Amino acid sequence: MGVWDKEQYVREGVPPFQDERRFTQVGKSVPKIDSPAKVRGEAIYTDDIVLPGMAYGRIKRCTEHAHAKIKKIDYSKALAHPGVLAVLIGDEAPKKWGMLPQTANETVLAVDKVRFNGEGVAAVAAVDEETAEIACDLIDVEYEPLPVLLDPFESMQRAGEIQIHEDAPGNILHEGEQVFGDVDKAFKECKYILEREFKTNMPQQGFLEPQAALANYDPQNGQLRLWSSSQIAHYLHRQISDVLEMPMNKIRVTVPTVGGGFGGKAEACVNEFVACLLSRKIGRPVKVTFDRSEVFYTNKGRHPCHMKMKIGLDADGYIQAVDFDNTLDKGAYAGWGIVVLFYSASMIHLPYKVPNARFRGRCVYTNKPSMGSMRGLGGVQPRFAMECMLDELAEMMGISPFELKMKNAVESGYTAVNNMYVPHTEYKRSLQKAVEKSGYLEKHGKLPFGKGIGLAGGYYITGTAYTLYMSYKPHTSVLLRVDTEGGVTLHCSAVDIGQGSNTVMAQMAAEALGVHFEDVHIQSHDTEVGTFDLGTFASRLTYATGIAIRDAAEKINGKLKEIAAGLLGCRADHLAIKDRKIYSIYEAERKSMEWEKVVEIAVNTTGSLAAMGHFSPPRRRGFDLTSGKRAQGANIGHSPTFGFSCQIFEVDVDLETGKIKVTRVTESGDMGTMINPMAADGQVEGSIVYNLGACLYEDQFFDKDGIHLNPNFQDYKMPTIMDMPEMDINTLTDSYDPTAPFGAKETGEGAVQPTFPAIVNAIYDAIGIRFTEVPITPEKVLKALKEKKKGK
Amino acid sequence: MKQLIALDINDQIYEVPVDPWDLLSDVIRKKVRLTGTKKGCEQGDCGACTVLINGQAVLSCLTLAIACQGKKITTIEGLAEQDGRLHPIQQSFVDYGAVQCGFCTSGMILSSKALLDSNPKPGREEIKRALSGNLCRCTGYKKIIEAVEVASETMSKEGVK
Amino acid sequence: MFLNHFEYFAPQAAKDALDLCDRLGAKAKILAGGTDLLNLMKDKLLKPEYLIDINNVDEFKGIFYEPGKGAVIGAATKISEIERSEIIREKYFALHQAAGELGSVQVRNMATIGGNICNASPAAETPTPLVALGAKVVISSLSGDREMPLEEFILGNGETALAEGEILTKFLLPEPISGSVSRYGYIGLRDAMEIDAVNLAVNLALGEDGRIIKQLKLVMGSVFPRPLVSEEAPEILIGKEFSAELAEEAARAASSESKPISDIRASAEYRREIVAVLSRRLLQEAFSAAQGEV
Repeated sequence: MGVWDKEQYVREGVPPFQDERRFTQVGKSVPKIDSPAKVRGEAIYTDDIVLPGMAYGRIKRCTEHAHAKIKKIDYSKALAHPGVLAVLIGDEAPKKWGMLPQTANETVLAVDKVRFNGEGVAAVAAVDEETAEIACDLIDVEYEPLPVLLDPFESMQRAGEIQIHEDAPGNILHEGEQVFGDVDKAFKECKYILEREFKTNMPQQGFLEPQAALANYDPQNGQLRLWSSSQIAHYLHRQISDVLEMPMNKIRVTVPTVGGGFGGKAEACVNEFVACLLSRKIGRPVKVTFDRSEVFYTNKGRHPCHMKMKIGLDADGYIQAVDFDNTLDKGAYAGWGIVVLFYSASMIHLPYKVPNARFRGRCVYTNKPSMGSMRGLGGVQPRFAMECMLDELAEMMGISPFELKMKNAVESGYTAVNNMYVPHTEYKRSLQKAVEKSGYLEKHGKLPFGKGIGLAGGYYITGTAYTLYMSYKPHTSVLLRVDTEGGVTLHCSAVDIGQGSNTVMAQMAAEALGVHFEDVHIQSHDTEVGTFDLGTFASRLTYATGIAIRDAAEKINGKLKEIAAGLLGCRADHLAIKDRKIYSIYEAERKSMEWEKVVEIAVNTTGSLAAMGHFSPPRRRGFDLTSGKRAQGANIGHSPTFGFSCQIFEVDVDLETGKIKVTRVTESGDMGTMINPMAADGQVEGSIVYNLGACLYEDQFFDKDGIHLNPNFQDYKMPTIMDMPEMDINTLTDSYDPTAPFGAKETGEGAVQPTFPAIVNAIYDAIGIRFTEVPITPEKVLKALKEKKKGK
Repeated sequence: MKQLIALDINDQIYEVPVDPWDLLSDVIRKKVRLTGTKKGCEQGDCGACTVLINGQAVLSCLTLAIACQGKKITTIEGLAEQDGRLHPIQQSFVDYGAVQCGFCTSGMILSSKALLDSNPKPGREEIKRALSGNLCRCTGYKKIIEAVEVASETMSKEGVK
Repeated sequence: MFLNHFEYFAPQAAKDALDLCDRLGAKAKILAGGTDLLNLMKDKLLKPEYLIDINNVDEFKGIFYEPGKGAVIGAATKISEIERSEIIREKYFALHQAAGELGSVQVRNMATIGGNICNASPAAETPTPLVALGAKVVISSLSGDREMPLEEFILGNGETALAEGEILTKFLLPEPISGSVSRYGYIGLRDAMEIDAVNLAVNLALGEDGRIIKQLKLVMGSVFPRPLVSEEAPEILIGKEFSAELAEEAARAASSESKPISDIRASAEYRREIVAVLSRRLLQEAFSAAQGEV
């Protein structure tokens, strides 16, 4: 099943008992544990659940305006309609919510005014979906249109006249500056200086399963259950508690199978609140499932960025300074805004050594659906700018972009000027491998006009250092239970959104306990059955759960070894557990017992075994290493460790139509140990096609009044199977981060980072035009080709 | 207005009361309670609701249930063997990592089945064309193509239909 | 996304279908493939009180070819059947190509050629090649059949010449004249599931010498409310010996005749540009293929 090269994990000359890398469960391409149910159509997603007496909720949306005062809501006709059970309006739940408690400013339904096209203004519960839809049409809302601000610069400029939020003067959510070293002085000493402006688009996650939530409030005991398609059971739990003003221990959040997230479900969503509020109102279960247009109105996609970047190199090509200015289009509400702002700031510090850096940025409100956390949050936009500029700088120097990147690439043990610490990296080897496999050096600059090859690198965090609200608790806790009935059960509320965390957790638990992965039962996706986990975002799960699992397993192993030591007549610390056997590392032949037997004896003498394990990330402070000064927001971007990658794209440009065909992608990534190489490859392949779409096809359009023009899959164009390039994935199979659990780092978001710039650099190589805006549509290409011909 | 119609789904006859305006996707999901058929866009753009009617892949979100009387409907639940053993296409999707979130999977597998039933040894381009109406946002499609290629081999070796 | 409430009829015979259509008039809609109609109904842009499902009427289906006379295609014939038809591929290649590019496999298995025409979307795939191939439509009602050229049938975006009580039942494709070749092409963003920014079809015939253009029809889609037949391209090319320069001139002429609009799929300027490129490419392609025919 798949490819598993056992040899790659075995180090020559290291005795097996001392080799922490000689894995039996980790590093295996086992099929995902949930895929048999999925291929049979038996996996239960939220919308598949029907409860007795269940009602259906639907949200009445403002589809006619993008910014308007609500003068009056008349829902009497809706309420009188047969089959309608309740109507909910914004005033009934005025408490503001948001991913960051400091900037929470979204209400469940609009109160007093709507700030984007498609915002919810009322909600209905009815006996069936059709009645709910009819009832929404029966609600009359009177609006007074307000001027619409769609461009962040116009929004700042006209803030005196139109303010989107009362408490946000200047229409700015947040403005920030970070200075490390002496940027101006450094530039003065640079030989090569390049300054460019870049602009990115407004893609949306495009997960295939629209959001769905089912709430069941029990009026007898005041308990609320919520099933929802969410990536963040915990943050959702917290925010439901906050908005409904109920203690968290009266609420249980369960996440059924999730049909993709990509960050789009990493925020609480209006349907979740509405389902809960309506259920509490009518004492019946209520389900609210979005249709596709509602997914687009909710948005929470990637922030469009207007970026100015300046990079200076010394005569030898070493980066001396980076100056970065970023204006982010926030859309209507704060959400993840400040986090994204400062993530984008942190992205200039890696994967190259930058001794002096300055960031200025602002997150600006506009009357668009809110942006949120989309795969590769905060990284994709600055990576686009930086990697394209390094390509151009290499050209200025007359060297290969590969050479320039190798020269500046970070190494293990590097501490960036903002105090970000890189315990381990194989970035240089990723660059080398991709270059070698693709024949980049032989092709770059040498292909016929219209054909091109482009290189770009990137990195991403492996989890964050801080929670989004002030707290010192561990970010992940697991409970491992071992008994003679259930075998091994791992409890953790972490959510698998398709990437395979349940499978990876089972493999890691099996490895840590010395059993086989199919012996491990996973109890996840539930805040009551599972122990605490912060959520599925920031590429954090493998690392965080891995450490917690190892921690818990060591405690269980300790108990089992004590018992086995007595039975085998040897020291407990001489025992190892692997492949369902406990054996002496010195006398494996003579002193060994079946693991199951030892468990039986342990349970018979002291009862079932259970142990908790925890993970708390190192909390490095963001300050200027040169001056020792704290920099605001500079804690954001720190991570226990980082994944790295390089992608090389080859494109064919149709010179007459401007159409770009990506023909081939060669990738090499450093994600440490691949716990499940097949699943890891799947992340990389998925990432490439994902951002290929955002680079060439995808965008959301609005007319001058802010009306969403393409809230559907017909005109929001995601790549089809026909658009898939040939992909050669060469993830390093021998990378191992000694500080990471089982040596494993992230991949789910790192692999989207190099895609934009690799494509853009390839287009430059093909036609000699450097694009600074995405998406690069055929129309833009043709226009640029014409202008080039005219000699502009 | 409701009338009782007989639908042949996965070789079983279901008698269901439907209105003329009921869509096949809703009837399959809500009345017959086979929820493996998914609704991703309800506008025929994503392919998640694909079912087979008389062996051909169609979109159940744009099909009236009432028009399906007398036709053979196959949903994802109808593919595995009676004893629960997976169909070779299902098995290869599992084995070759062609499944991530699973939301497109039912439609992907059914489109693949329609292809392999009419063209047992398709080339790569033929596979792509046959699956071009099924969007997948997770996998990047590569492993899906591999899985269909493997299934094609297994099926012709074992003579599976 | 629910459909409005309607009464459903599924006649088995053409006469019954025409009878229903006559009786129910404007309150009824014909349900063929449903891929366009049901979407319009979901969006509440159409709320018919009756649907007449013509999928069970055998007389409205099928592809029939008679050498020397041409082909008759039933309006309720599925696009996938046209795509797979050997005779369509051999004689009416542009239609074969267009059928293969329409939507996805699923859509092609559902959609019908009559539906694609009656929906009268300016971006539709099949009107362009059908007009280029000189197709006529047969419109039936209780009072009998009438025929008209397809280019007169489509009046504008969503508008056709169908009167109350009438059903589009057949397409008549004339036998291609000797030495003729047809080609279809389109430009969209992606390589599948595209709503074309521009599509185009040419039908070109060479004289016996294999160089002089005897006949030419060039039809543009998605650049006008209905399929637009170039008047200038034939004037430039017919009676002349084919050359790259003339093809370029004809392509430019077609481009200047096109009257596209700007929308989120493409700007008018880009569409005009693409008309020229596609015209030139298809003319060249058709010419080369026609040379092989002679």
